[in-house]
Amino acid sequence: MPEIFVGKLWDQLVSGATASNSEDTTVLFEEIVKPASILFRALGGDQGLALKTAQSTIHQGKQNWLQQLSGIEQKVELAWCDDEALYLPASINLLPQDRLNRELYFWLAALAVEMRPGLWFIENQQATLRLLEKFPGLQARYQRLVYALLSLRPEITTLSYDSAIQEQAIYQALIKPGSISLLPSAPNPWFPIYLWFHPTPPFGGNNQLIPPKKLAEFEPSDDTQSTAKDQRRHKAERQEIQERKDGFMMFFRAESILTWAEYIKVNRPTEDDENTDAKRAADEMETITVTRDGKQTASRIRFDLDLPPEDSDETKLESGILLPEWHYKKQLYLKDYCCLQPVVATNTKTCQLPVHLAAVARRIRHQFESLTSVRTWLRKQTEGTEVDVDAYINHLVEVKSGTFKTDLQLYKTHQIQERNLSCLLLADLSQSTDAYVNNHARVIDVIRDSLFLFSEALSATADQFGLYGFSSLRRDNVRFYTIKAFAEKYNDQIRGRINAIKPGYYTRMGAAIRQAGKLLAQQTTHQRILLLLTDGKPNDLDRYEGRYGIEDTRQALREIRQQGIKPFCITIDEKAGSYLPYLFGTGGYVVIRQPSELPRQLLSLYAQLTV
Amino acid sequence: MTKAAIHIAAATDQHAASEVPFYQPHGDEVELFEHAYNKQLPLLIKGPTGCGKTRFVMHMAARLKRPLYTVSCHDDLTATDLVGRHLVNDSGTYWNDGPLTRAVRNGGICYLDEIVEARKDTAVVLHPLTDDRRILPLERTGETLQAPVQFMLVVSYNPGYQSFLKGMKPSTRQRFVSLRFNFLDAAQEQQVVIAETGIDLVTAKQLVKLASALRALKQHDLEEVASTRLVVYAAALIKNGFAPIEACRAALVEALTDDEEVTAALMEVVYACFGE
Ligand SMILES: Nc1ncnc2c1ncn2[C@@H]1O[C@H](COP(=O)(O)OP(=O)(O)OP(=O)(O)O)[C@@H](O)[C@H]1O
Ligand SMILES: [Mg+2]
Repeated sequence: MPEIFVGKLWDQLVSGATASNSEDTTVLFEEIVKPASILFRALGGDQGLALKTAQSTIHQGKQNWLQQLSGIEQKVELAWCDDEALYLPASINLLPQDRLNRELYFWLAALAVEMRPGLWFIENQQATLRLLEKFPGLQARYQRLVYALLSLRPEITTLSYDSAIQEQAIYQALIKPGSISLLPSAPNPWFPIYLWFHPTPPFGGNNQLIPPKKLAEFEPSDDTQSTAKDQRRHKAERQEIQERKDGFMMFFRAESILTWAEYIKVNRPTEDDENTDAKRAADEMETITVTRDGKQTASRIRFDLDLPPEDSDETKLESGILLPEWHYKKQLYLKDYCCLQPVVATNTKTCQLPVHLAAVARRIRHQFESLTSVRTWLRKQTEGTEVDVDAYINHLVEVKSGTFKTDLQLYKTHQIQERNLSCLLLADLSQSTDAYVNNHARVIDVIRDSLFLFSEALSATADQFGLYGFSSLRRDNVRFYTIKAFAEKYNDQIRGRINAIKPGYYTRMGAAIRQAGKLLAQQTTHQRILLLLTDGKPNDLDRYEGRYGIEDTRQALREIRQQGIKPFCITIDEKAGSYLPYLFGTGGYVVIRQPSELPRQLLSLYAQLTV
Repeated sequence: MTKAAIHIAAATDQHAASEVPFYQPHGDEVELFEHAYNKQLPLLIKGPTGCGKTRFVMHMAARLKRPLYTVSCHDDLTATDLVGRHLVNDSGTYWNDGPLTRAVRNGGICYLDEIVEARKDTAVVLHPLTDDRRILPLERTGETLQAPVQFMLVVSYNPGYQSFLKGMKPSTRQRFVSLRFNFLDAAQEQQVVIAETGIDLVTAKQLVKLASALRALKQHDLEEVASTRLVVYAAALIKNGFAPIEACRAALVEALTDDEEVTAALMEVVYACFGE
């Protein structure tokens, strides 16, 4: 990723400028993401926000400052948040001890909890005040960080008069948060303030292609340079803004636009520069997104599709099963919003178990046969493996009182209890399963093998099972494939259907889960389990991604839990760690790092889940 | 019944203590309990672990001057363990009342803690006792006991795993008066911590703030939630001279997780409350 590369370069420069042979004090985002998210939530942060890495932002202050040093244009990673995520730098090594760099990460995670909409310069100070008041334990840490970071700031004596006044104000605002209400302007931009959040999200959420619209909006209207490409992009983007309007994403609100205007005014020395910079940033953004989303085709397609107007999104759906969807911002169900199309492949060729699975299948079947039953003690038996002491004592009492019966039941024995369980395996058949996991297999191949082995194993038990798959292309086309209905016998025809599964489009998880829940609810067994097999997050073209998709999925899971169904998720999305607990709870999912492990893991999991 | 179980039953066979144990009410549960007692209705208390259920029942028993029979249910607990059984000694066999039977005979309060853990067959003896008949048939001795007005059945469980009510007949289910306990609000919890340990107000406040921060992690990051009990333990350690950070680590953090990364994160929360 280019920005990381540039970041590295910058890091080298800085360390070259400060200490030549200091050890590496870099703390990576990956190292702190889990504890920092926990801290964020514990201090009251939004449970649904994910922590992500920030993309670097062109920061004029740093650029100029560094230009003096090296003549190289620089980008700097600042933290910011929106309603999808809290973005933190991919790595921090500003400070001479890794402990301090780590503390800076934690500080940002904590400060994020208190950030409210408002003027950037004031709000960062106020949030700091509030946080320190609520959690006074952070005061020592704050001071430590302030002093460490102040020492990185430019010497006031080296600055021009205006810049010195400005720098003085920043100093004061850091040392005594809340004490400065106005940032004096200066022709040159200031050096970045790493303890604070960035005034506005420089770009949209991570995988949404929203170019820096604020820059665009503040381009002078007589800008004749903008190309057709730009226009198209801005059109798509406007819709995004529309969608966000009702939300609580306050950073996008008018007051923050003011902030941004102010920011630009202060930052951009001349109008000419502003235009070229804005352009360059936008273009760079585009390239970054394209290179970034090797996997995220959704955002690229969204970009190219030139999205239809919002109204056409409201057209009535005709055939298929209508299902609701949860709109988390509105906190209500969109009734009959999704149309699910049940699909059964009819003309698939029958087939036998693939030979490469034969040996494993035999072994697994054998193991699973022992799962059929639960052993418990059966008391008061006429025959049995052990004496039932209770029954015996009772018998003695009865003998004494002369009321004993002749059919003596003085033993206990093991009872074999039939299991009473149904399991629905729901496989994600989205486009991303087309990706290769190694030289010979794609995700879909691994899922196929898993379905085979799972079926082989379960048909050796008395457990009821069904196999289904899903993929979607917008809300009116959620395809729900029946591979094996509960009532169907597992045979060569079913094997043929398993063999025929192939990657589809997107992942509208909520609808699929709701439908799976309906099917499971029809099962009369004592226990009902939904096993979701997936390789990524919920996503679809029409709004269904990021937080929206996750919240709908979460709601769908809540619904089926209420019906007494136990959901469990197996995923091969390495980055899934952050949102899965939010959906499935701790212990409600496993992340499989090595996709080829999936079949084996699936079975051992099943065994554990159902005991 | 195993020896241990008999022992527990005997040990908790407490007679109306003259001193009423401290209890900080959440809301109007004291009045509700008294109402149920006066109307001879069974009471069901739901709530997470360590939120004061046991303490509440002890408090109420003392207040109403009734003996309390507490049974901690477990998955091996059968109806026989509650009702009683024949035992053998040198001179032969003799009948030994279980805690439920004793509570009925003596007009006491029988408290079945974590009732869902008990075997299914326990419901059979509870039915006639909790519906309007209020009787306890002792199959083994041929007796049928009529519960006196002072007898009361209280059951508790931690919802989330299973529902106790589902296993009950509607006629029984509808008679239960239900109470849901949650954690106390901050000011109340501070009172408890101070009353239980004699710790100073400032520390009590910090501990309660820490606890509520940790409670925000329920479901998402932690399976267990920091209970008032754990807060009281931490306060007791501090009162005994432990450094707050170490006390919180020992009594709260390590009790909530085994995962090292999560431990580190929880310690960050401790630092945010207590400093480093
Ligand atoms: N409302 C309260 N008033 C007084 N003390 C309380 C209260 N709530 C909790 N405590 C303290 O917490 C400790 C644990 O409470 P208690 O044993 O009653 O919990 P519980 O709800 O019965 O938990 P469990 O489900 O684990 O049995 C008590 O010993 C007491 O110190
Ligand atoms: Mg208890």
